[in-house]
Amino acid sequence: MAYIKDTIAAIATPPGKGGVGIVRISGPVAVRIGKEISKRETEPRVATLVSFYDDRGRTIDQGLLICFQGPHSFTGEDLIELQGHGGPVVMDLLLKRAIQLGARQAGPGEFSQRAFLNDKIDLVQAEAIADLINSSSEQAALGSMRSLQGDFSNQINSTLKKLVQLRVLVEAAADFPEDGIEAEINKDEKEKLKYLLNQLDQLLEGAKEGHAFSQGVSLVLTGKPNAGKSSLMNALCKRDVSIVTEIPGTTRDVVREDAIIEGVTFRILDTAGTRQAKNKIEAEGVKRALKEVERADIVLNLVDVSENIELEMMEELEKNKRAKEIVVYNKVDLLHKKSIPSSFQCVSVKTGGGLQKLKKRLIKELGVLSGGDSIFSARRRHITAIEQARIHILEAIGFIGIENQIDLLAEELRLAQLALDSITGTFTSDDLLGEIFNNFCIGK
Amino acid sequence: MKAFDVIVVGGGHAGTEAALASARAGASTLLLTQNIETIGQMSCNPAIGGIGKSHLVKEIDALGGAMGIAADRAGIHWRILNSRKGPAVQATRAQADRALYKAAIRKIVETQVGLSIFQQSVVDLRFKGQKVDSVITDSGLRIKTKGLVLTVGTFLGGVIHVGLNKQTGGRMGDGPSNLLAQKLRDIEFGVDRLKTGTPPRIDGKTVNFGLLEEQPGESQRPTMSFLGKPEDHPRQVLCHIAHTNEKTHDIIRKGLDRSPLFTGQIEGVGPRYCPSIEDKIERFSDKNQHQIFIEPEGLGTQELYPNGISTSLPYDVQLDLVRSIKGFEDAHITRPGYAIEYDFFEPRNLYPSLQTKKIVGLFFAGQINGTTGYEEAAAQGLIAGLNAARLSQEKEPWVPKRSEAYVGVMIDDLVTMGTKEPYRMFTSRAEYRLILRQDNADRRLTPKGRELGIIDEKRWTKFCEKRDRIDEISKKIKKIFISAEDKKVNAMLNKPLGREYSVFEVMKRPEIKGMALLEAAGLKMISSSVAEQIEIDCKYQGYISRQEKEVEKNKSHFDQPIPSDFCFDSIPGLSNEAKQKLALIKPKNLGQAGRIPGMTPAAVSLLMVYLKKGDSIQNVQAD
Repeated sequence: MAYIKDTIAAIATPPGKGGVGIVRISGPVAVRIGKEISKRETEPRVATLVSFYDDRGRTIDQGLLICFQGPHSFTGEDLIELQGHGGPVVMDLLLKRAIQLGARQAGPGEFSQRAFLNDKIDLVQAEAIADLINSSSEQAALGSMRSLQGDFSNQINSTLKKLVQLRVLVEAAADFPEDGIEAEINKDEKEKLKYLLNQLDQLLEGAKEGHAFSQGVSLVLTGKPNAGKSSLMNALCKRDVSIVTEIPGTTRDVVREDAIIEGVTFRILDTAGTRQAKNKIEAEGVKRALKEVERADIVLNLVDVSENIELEMMEELEKNKRAKEIVVYNKVDLLHKKSIPSSFQCVSVKTGGGLQKLKKRLIKELGVLSGGDSIFSARRRHITAIEQARIHILEAIGFIGIENQIDLLAEELRLAQLALDSITGTFTSDDLLGEIFNNFCIGK
Repeated sequence: MKAFDVIVVGGGHAGTEAALASARAGASTLLLTQNIETIGQMSCNPAIGGIGKSHLVKEIDALGGAMGIAADRAGIHWRILNSRKGPAVQATRAQADRALYKAAIRKIVETQVGLSIFQQSVVDLRFKGQKVDSVITDSGLRIKTKGLVLTVGTFLGGVIHVGLNKQTGGRMGDGPSNLLAQKLRDIEFGVDRLKTGTPPRIDGKTVNFGLLEEQPGESQRPTMSFLGKPEDHPRQVLCHIAHTNEKTHDIIRKGLDRSPLFTGQIEGVGPRYCPSIEDKIERFSDKNQHQIFIEPEGLGTQELYPNGISTSLPYDVQLDLVRSIKGFEDAHITRPGYAIEYDFFEPRNLYPSLQTKKIVGLFFAGQINGTTGYEEAAAQGLIAGLNAARLSQEKEPWVPKRSEAYVGVMIDDLVTMGTKEPYRMFTSRAEYRLILRQDNADRRLTPKGRELGIIDEKRWTKFCEKRDRIDEISKKIKKIFISAEDKKVNAMLNKPLGREYSVFEVMKRPEIKGMALLEAAGLKMISSSVAEQIEIDCKYQGYISRQEKEVEKNKSHFDQPIPSDFCFDSIPGLSNEAKQKLALIKPKNLGQAGRIPGMTPAAVSLLMVYLKKGDSIQNVQAD
């Protein structure tokens, strides 16, 4: 039974700089996508060496293309695999190209789900599929939450707020023409839309450049001075990049270094400890540290347990931490009898104890194990959504001031919001009406 | 008394459409009303249509209903709303003469074959197990039926408030249906209270119209029914616009201590889009005036309906506030305004067919489901009546989808999300607004209505003529070309053609008017309604096909049916909250499940997997 008629795509291999990465595409237009991305026909079930091209005909990568015709494929639908050189940049470009060519980014567990729905997986495995959907949607939610930290989230929300204001005006003019609402949608609104467009462009730039795609995962070390941040950085990078002393406040600026952990590149940033700064230079360092925390994918908050820290305080720390934050309890070697719950992340940078566990935790946090549902795919999803919203805003601008087409203007604005909603959560027509009733005195 | 296939209780807008649809569908139908004289009564404002509402009227009409025809016979002032904002949000509204409207509905009801009217109050309902059996009336009659449609409006536990005085009643002058209310409360349908209100009515001869702003109707009058003609309309009159002022607002503020709305006497939730004047002044205190539409009650009366000052303040405050309005200095109130609270039942206890989930054969339509408005009630009535008839004939129910009709949007909203305030239709509720227009209601629904057996020969013939003409012209305009030098056409355009284009291509330009271009292209003898469809089809083509594609894409996915006995508890990964909601709403298909507030895409995915699992087990057993 064919349940769904669209085509899905996802990166099937864990993100990171692995040797080979695979983008998998399944659905009715999968074969066409394969043809267009490689600019050639390939024989089914034969691995063919091809070049993958982007929308302007430039080579993205060279690799293998394998095409499986439904029902003889993993999902039971037409399915292609693009095997390229691993690494987030190439994989992301391939995925992006597949989406441009008509695929949709796959939801959590969707490939397996389709396989099941098309009788390619045994009935007995229904529970396993359910688990997969559940666990990977949790991962996706986490990934999404992390991607939405800091500036990015603020910007998205402020953009959405402005979009909703415009929609309230347009929809109110359409649904309540007799309630004295300014019916003319004119120059002012055009300017507002252009401003929105500009904001979306900035968001895109920020999301594309400032984030993990090309440079890896940004990992920021914070904590009180002398908690051992610089030592941890050196341990993770396996060489001395930060100056380590016993004097609190040694690191005054942000120190950056790359480390490869389980094949994933982490851009580690060691920051000045957050304390009341003793001088101007240190104060500037603290300020920069806070900014880096905002931008980071993962924050390691180092706590020195050798300083009198009560269990209650730790629990408080765990409770109040950010979504992307891991509290790391350092210097456990100095503890004698105090016991710390095993769920808390403990290390001794000095002895090396707990470092392996910490590294594993970092990889787990990225959602690497579940394959396509990590912070990387979350961000790709967000970028796709912003790009779509941008197209609709652009269309909407064209309808401003044109008589008889406020309904089309309203439609474009609705679609723009629908796209952004996929990032921030649903905004229903009832929410919209609520906004209208709050803003205008409606009703005869 | 003999048994009927379907009994409809209530002769309001929901009841009459329900009874008519049931009879048209071929079921022997009985309409029970407390008072035959109130059949088709407009209890609130004297108008039919408006934004989102004329969409519903035209859908009712496209399915053979009465509301549009009655509005054409009673409309004494016509307006096209949003005439310059695009066809999808354009709407029609008629001020209706109450007496003419009532008479038109009465005539249609009385002449309907297979429909009997009987003046009786229903005091009890009898069930056999979980199935409708009969109704008991106040004269002790017991009448058996297979399908029972309750359209009791605001009569269930109705309480009327004027100031701090309250009395029971279903409408000023008519008693409530308390026995029936108690009976239904006992079945535990999940009862709650809503509130609505009306303004004081004014004696027209005490108003100085010279001080009011005139609001004339359209010179080119539209019609509500597909079968209607402007010639059907009675004599036309003017409406007027007045305004409240600071003095009015002061009077209201001083009276708030005797407002049942502000002293907590009224518990029911009122509509946010139709607030009382005291509400408006409290919530938007910065506005120094509010509009009042002065609507005539009819041709045969002087009474006026001042739309915009619905209130439950005491009579003395009402009089002062009315007389503070310019032009109303000497006004006389003929009937005080009042608020009414009434019972409604949680609409999530209904299937989309509007049958209750608890009792087979029992259907609810109208305000009992938490809606407000004549049009909303009538549309539900039609669907409930039709489905009650189909149930009695052992046929599957029919309900339009969200992508097919506003009626479908409304019913899906009600049964999936419920409502917290009286539910009213707005165009913004429809995600497929561009394809659900008032101008194409006939094209969307009449063929379906014909299939269901509720469209008569006369309407069907006229519909087919129009449909065939549209098809014919649509083909022609792709083959007729306009030369680059065509003076007539270039004069219509902001930018001249530049090269040869087909009529189809030129029609897409926003500044082009359909009829004018068709005439310039030599296509004569085309009716304005056909030209309108051709124009909109061309201009909206991209959008329409995009929405249609969307509908098509979701079809296989969202139309996946969920068996009514499906056990949601058996799905291990679902949260308890999701399980509870699914068990309450019993969604008919995956699409509806996905629209339940709080359902995540992952939950829908899980549901899909387990539906498939259920299927496979059944198949295995069948093998």
